[in-house]
Amino acid sequence: MADPGRPEHSVAELEELAYELRRKLLLLCGTYEGAVHIGGDLSAADIFTALYHYGLRVDPSDIANPARDRFVLSKGHAAVCMYITMALRGFFDYDDIVATYGQLDSPYGMHPCKVQLPGVEVSTGSLGHGLPLAVGLALGARGRGEAHRVVTLLGDGETGEGSVWEAAMVARSNELGNLVAVIDRNRQLMTSFAEERVVFEPYPDKWRAFGWDVIEADGHDMASLVAAIDSLPPTDHRRPTVIICETVKGKGVDFMEHNLAWHAGSLSPADLERALAALDAGRSKELV
Amino acid sequence: MPVTFTFGEMLSARSIIGSTLAELGETHDNLWVLTPDIGATLVEFREKFPERFLDVGLAEQACVGVAAGLAYDGNIPVVSGMLPFLSMRALEQIRTDVCYPNLPVKIIGTHGGLVGNGGSTHYAVEDLGLMCSLTNMTVTSIGDPVMVGEILRQSMSMTGPIYIRLAVGKQDMVLYEPGRHEIRIGKGIVAREGADVTLFTHGTTVAQALEAAEALEADGVGVRVVDMFTLKPIDEELIVHSAEETGGRFVVLEDHLAYGGLASRIADVVADRGLRLTSFERLGIPQVYAGFGDDEQLRDKHGYGLSHTIAALRRAVEAGSPA
Repeated sequence: MADPGRPEHSVAELEELAYELRRKLLLLCGTYEGAVHIGGDLSAADIFTALYHYGLRVDPSDIANPARDRFVLSKGHAAVCMYITMALRGFFDYDDIVATYGQLDSPYGMHPCKVQLPGVEVSTGSLGHGLPLAVGLALGARGRGEAHRVVTLLGDGETGEGSVWEAAMVARSNELGNLVAVIDRNRQLMTSFAEERVVFEPYPDKWRAFGWDVIEADGHDMASLVAAIDSLPPTDHRRPTVIICETVKGKGVDFMEHNLAWHAGSLSPADLERALAALDAGRSKELV
Repeated sequence: MPVTFTFGEMLSARSIIGSTLAELGETHDNLWVLTPDIGATLVEFREKFPERFLDVGLAEQACVGVAAGLAYDGNIPVVSGMLPFLSMRALEQIRTDVCYPNLPVKIIGTHGGLVGNGGSTHYAVEDLGLMCSLTNMTVTSIGDPVMVGEILRQSMSMTGPIYIRLAVGKQDMVLYEPGRHEIRIGKGIVAREGADVTLFTHGTTVAQALEAAEALEADGVGVRVVDMFTLKPIDEELIVHSAEETGGRFVVLEDHLAYGGLASRIADVVADRGLRLTSFERLGIPQVYAGFGDDEQLRDKHGYGLSHTIAALRRAVEAGSPA
C-alpha cells in the first residue's frame, strides 16, 4: 500500500496556515447565525494545523488508504475547526462549508458524522468517547501488523469523563505505542475555569500514573508542536503517548481569551470586524 | 467441533457461546471477542486467538467504545458480559458509538430477567426496552441454548449491531428438535400450535410457556406458543396471523418489565395495524425492585410464574369472540 506521506512545511508556513484557519473560522462565525464553539476551536487551531499539515500521514485524494493515520476528534464540538483545517489541506471546499454549515442536509454539522461526511474517520460529539474508539482502531492496526498511528484530540475538560481513564488503562495494558492522545489543555470547561470547581492538577502526572509517556508542549507555539510530533516514538513502542498542549481558550482574539462567555457564540458584523482586527494585531506582534 | 445434544436436554448456553465463537474465529479472521472481566466461558476463544481476545477489566464503557473502534477498523467485535451493566453503564456507547454509525458490533450477555439471585443490581429488566429504542439495533432474547450458536452464526453477515440476551445460561433446556423449526433472525417461532389463544414469549420463559400450554391441553384448550426471540425487527405478520387464527386472544409472558418489553412491542403492532383483539394480557415484572430468591420463586412472587400463566390463558379463552 502506498504511503500517504506527510506534507513538508516550515514552522513559518504552519504559522501562516494557522492564521488562515483562525481567519476562516471567524468569518464562518460571522456568517452563521447559530452558535459556534469558537473558544475551543481557537484553542485547538494550532494543534489541528500541526496535525493535518505536518504530523498526520493522510491524503485527501485517497481517503480510504489503509496506510493512512487515523484521526479521532474526541472533542467533537471543535468539528468546524477540523472541517476548515481539512479544507485547507484539500479534503473539503471551504466555501461549501460556509455556505451550508449547520443547515438542513449539510454534511457539515456541529459535531462530525462519518456517515454524512466521508473523510471524517469517526462520528463523535459526546465527550469522553474518542479515546476508547481510538484504542479500538489502534488494536485493529496492531493486530494486522500495520504501522500507521491513531491520533485523538481531547479537550482537558472531557478528561473528567470516567470512560477516558478506562480507555487509558486499556491502552497501557495493551501496550499501544501506535496510539497518541493530544490534549487541548485550555483550562476552561463550559461554565468554569479548570481548578476552580474541578481540580485537574497534577495533570501530566495523572497520565504518567496511568503508564503513559507524556510530552508537554506549548499548544500555540508551532515550533513546540512540531518538536512534540518529531519526538513521538515509533509505533512499535510499548506505551501510548499523550501530548499535553498548554493552550488558551479563544486564542488569537483578545476579547475571547480566558473568557467564559466565548465557549460558544456567534459574531455580529461589528464583533467580526473587532475579532479580525484583534487576530491581525496579534499576528503583526508575532512577526515583529 | 460440532456440539451434540438431544431435545429436552439441559445444556449451558454459555458453553455454546464459547464453542461457537471459537468455531467462528476460524472462519472469520476479523472476529474479536471483548469482555469486561466476564471471560470464563470465553477461554476456548482466548486460547485459540489470544491476539483477538481483549479483557478490559471492569470498564464497560471502554469495552463497548473499543469494540466500536475495532468495528470502524473493519473487524467484527463481540462484546460478552453481564447485561445489567452492558445495557445501562455502556448504553450511551452502544447508542452513540455503535448504533449511530451502524457498526457490526454484537452485544451478548447473561442475567436478562430476574435470574441468578443477585438482586436488583444484577438483574437486567429494562434492557429490552432500552435496546429496542435504539435506531439500527437488532434485539434478540434466546431461551434455547443451541439456538444461541445459530443466532451468532447468522449474525456474522449482519452489517449493523445486534443485542443477544440470555438468562443465566448455565442450565437451559434444549427446546427445539433440530431441523423442526426455521430459526431466522426477525422471524418468530411457533413453538407449539393451538387455535384458542396465542401466548407470546421469549428467552427463559419459553419453557414455562410450553409447560402452561401442555397443562391447558388437558382441558381441551389449544394454546399457540410463539417464541418471539427477535423483538426488533418484530415479526408483524406472525402477530397479525395469530390474531386471526387464535380468536384475537393474546397473552404475553416475559422475564422483563411488563411495560417496555415484548408486550409493548406487540401492543404497538396491535395499535398500528388496527387489530381487533378479544383479550390482551401481559405477564411480566411489575414496577418493583424484585429482591432475592430463586428464579422460579421470583416469578411466582411477582405474578408471572407458571400458575399465573395458566390462569391468564384460562381468562383469555373465557373471553368471547372478537366483535
